[in-house]
Amino acid sequence: MPVEAIASATGTTTMEITVSKFELLRELTATQGVVERKTTIPILSNYLFEAAGDKLSLTATDLDLSLRTSCNAKVKKEGACTIPARKLHDYVKLLPDADITIKLLENHWVSIRCGRSNTKMVGMARSNFPSLPTFPTAGVVKIPAQVLRGMIAKTGFAIASEESRYTLNGALMVLKPESMTMVATDGHRLSHIERAGTKFEGVSGEMKTLVPKKAMDELKSLLDSTDAEEIDFAKDESTLYFRIGSRLLTSRQLTGQFPNYEAVLPKDTTKSITVHGDDLAAAISRVAQFADERSRAVRMRLEKGELKLSASSTEMGESEDSIEIDYNGETLAIGFNAQYLLDFLKATGGGDVKLEFKDAQSAGQMRPAEGEEYKYRYIVMPMRI
Amino acid sequence: MPPATKTIFHVDMDAFFVSVEELFDPALKGKAVVVGGQRTERGVVSAASYEARKFGVHSAMPLRTAAKLCPHAIFVDGHRDRYLEYSEKVYQVLTSFSPLVEMASIDEAYLDMTGTERLHGPILCAAHGLHHKIKSETQLNCSIGIGTSRLIAKVSSAKAKPHGILWVIPGREAKFLAPLDVRDIPGVGKVTEQSLSALGIHRVGDLARFEDSFLEEHFGKWGLALAGKARGEDAGGWFDNAVGENTEAKSISHEHTYNEDTADVAKIESTLMRLSEMVGRRLREHGLHARTIQLKLRYKDFTTTTRAHSLPAPTQLDTEIFEQVRALFRKNWRKGGQVRLLGVHASSFEAGAGQRDLLEDGRRQRWQQALAAADRLRDKFGEASVSLATGMKGGFREKTHENPAGLPGKKERA
Repeated sequence: MPVEAIASATGTTTMEITVSKFELLRELTATQGVVERKTTIPILSNYLFEAAGDKLSLTATDLDLSLRTSCNAKVKKEGACTIPARKLHDYVKLLPDADITIKLLENHWVSIRCGRSNTKMVGMARSNFPSLPTFPTAGVVKIPAQVLRGMIAKTGFAIASEESRYTLNGALMVLKPESMTMVATDGHRLSHIERAGTKFEGVSGEMKTLVPKKAMDELKSLLDSTDAEEIDFAKDESTLYFRIGSRLLTSRQLTGQFPNYEAVLPKDTTKSITVHGDDLAAAISRVAQFADERSRAVRMRLEKGELKLSASSTEMGESEDSIEIDYNGETLAIGFNAQYLLDFLKATGGGDVKLEFKDAQSAGQMRPAEGEEYKYRYIVMPMRI
Repeated sequence: MPPATKTIFHVDMDAFFVSVEELFDPALKGKAVVVGGQRTERGVVSAASYEARKFGVHSAMPLRTAAKLCPHAIFVDGHRDRYLEYSEKVYQVLTSFSPLVEMASIDEAYLDMTGTERLHGPILCAAHGLHHKIKSETQLNCSIGIGTSRLIAKVSSAKAKPHGILWVIPGREAKFLAPLDVRDIPGVGKVTEQSLSALGIHRVGDLARFEDSFLEEHFGKWGLALAGKARGEDAGGWFDNAVGENTEAKSISHEHTYNEDTADVAKIESTLMRLSEMVGRRLREHGLHARTIQLKLRYKDFTTTTRAHSLPAPTQLDTEIFEQVRALFRKNWRKGGQVRLLGVHASSFEAGAGQRDLLEDGRRQRWQQALAAADRLRDKFGEASVSLATGMKGGFREKTHENPAGLPGKKERA
């Protein structure tokens, strides 16, 4: 063990605090997503608890992503300890709504007392817990929380989960002094959203950031449960920082070149229809029940006055639905993965959507018919049918 | 027993590869011939003439062992295209006798001849006619086994060799099998033989004396299959499909064994490229796209690793297959480990590529066109006529193996 580690280990052999079960559980729940489930490094399944002043701060990390949060506490003895995260969460959930006293014992054991319940958990040395990057003091950008939340919800689903296309495992966030854009693609579809008319102080020129999928997911759930109006965003060479209220999410940056997405945005679509999003989603869901299970292919057929949707599989049979539309152009038959279409329709949340096509081989474009503050577009490559 | 008696022919070409080689070089006739490569090469015997077999040479044996057992043998390289050509000729003859033909491998086939008496006459007449026609059309000898199941037909063709016909009359199956060694049953190998022997079972007749339940207890499902086989039934999964029923390939794979073990990354990767090309070529030939790509890696000490990866979208492009196997290789190779054998395996087939790619569709399409052009060149000028640059250093002669005896292989079983 290095000398500093011994020093810090011996320096923090005490800790004793009392917290309310409600507050502790709230923070434990908020951080569960970050705790590594299948780790080969045991310390990563532990929380770091640090008590100082009148605060208990909790940290969880999987090395790529870490979340630091805090709650009020009566600190009797300042200090730090680590506790198995999942077990602690499961246990605290079962405790009565009362104060909990947490105390560090010999050999990194931790005592947890609440009313007549008394538990000792096996912890690990605080010195084993990885040190985390600290929030930069300069270059902080304020982003409206609800704007960021909406943009993540409308793009996050299009991020690739396939690891081999590394730079697609995150979304590209582009900040300019007066606009913000977020783009995600898995190589089959691309989701692009832009918001203009908001001033972003601290941004000069163009600030491009690749936000990893896991960070996007975590950020989304933190934004869902916050009442903060704005969040602080900053980055250094290797790390991204998002401060949401009293919670700080840090993520390793994805390095590499996000594909040149502007080149694939369709520019020469010739056929366009407008349909109600809910109607379209319902029709697709119905026929998709009969699509090939693996490919999920549904067929779209644009005819005069009618949009036909159909799917068939040798095992299940075939199904067709049709929607009345205002269309006078050429007939077009084009295939899509039903899931890709439904993902978008769910994200747009209902209203009228405009579908634009060129031919059966080229990307189709979908967007809300009425965009106000947001410019939202979704590009999907067809399937061979 | 299946309802209504079936009449199944098993047509097995006699020393197929050697016989084909003899057609091209009559001087080989009557000599000890080993097909598969030169005597000093690593690799295995694809086929041996009857004269060489007398010295203990058999297929799947290392070439160097064959050279020791039979030093005067003539060693010749295999010619896959010749065998395919003759296999096709045989197939043409067979289809003129029955519409239900299943090529079990390059040199053997099952025919369902049930109900053809009015067309071809009594069973033995039909068999003689077929025997004769194959000889006159291809100049090759074959043996024909006839029975009420594929198993009986297969076993009896083996007993009819060389150049014979053997008909096991319906109802006499168990009697025919009883005196035979258990190893004569397709699917019974060294391991099963040993376990049976431990129970005092040596002949098929011994097997037939035991209750099904006893065999099931000892061997599980395989025991039930054995019991059925001992009665002459097509039991245990080898022959689940009716003859001629369309059984599609489930996987495509190619392997290469080095003459000298190597730890040279450039060499290994170029071999992987070459194998990927071969797999890609066959995928395109069959109009298939594979979703799962697997690497097989065998070291000097014969420890073998197989690792698979599933693609987000199925492919039939050499470059994409190679990208995956190379990644698997780099991830799983024991640094410096001497590699003996490499294999590339594609499975989880889909008929169409389905989803188009947003970012790489153009690139993919260009590859698709380039590879289609390369395939046409190969069709015309042979497999070695064109290759991707990385694969050129990895060039090797393709080896073809006859199905080892006793394995009732199916089409394209990898």
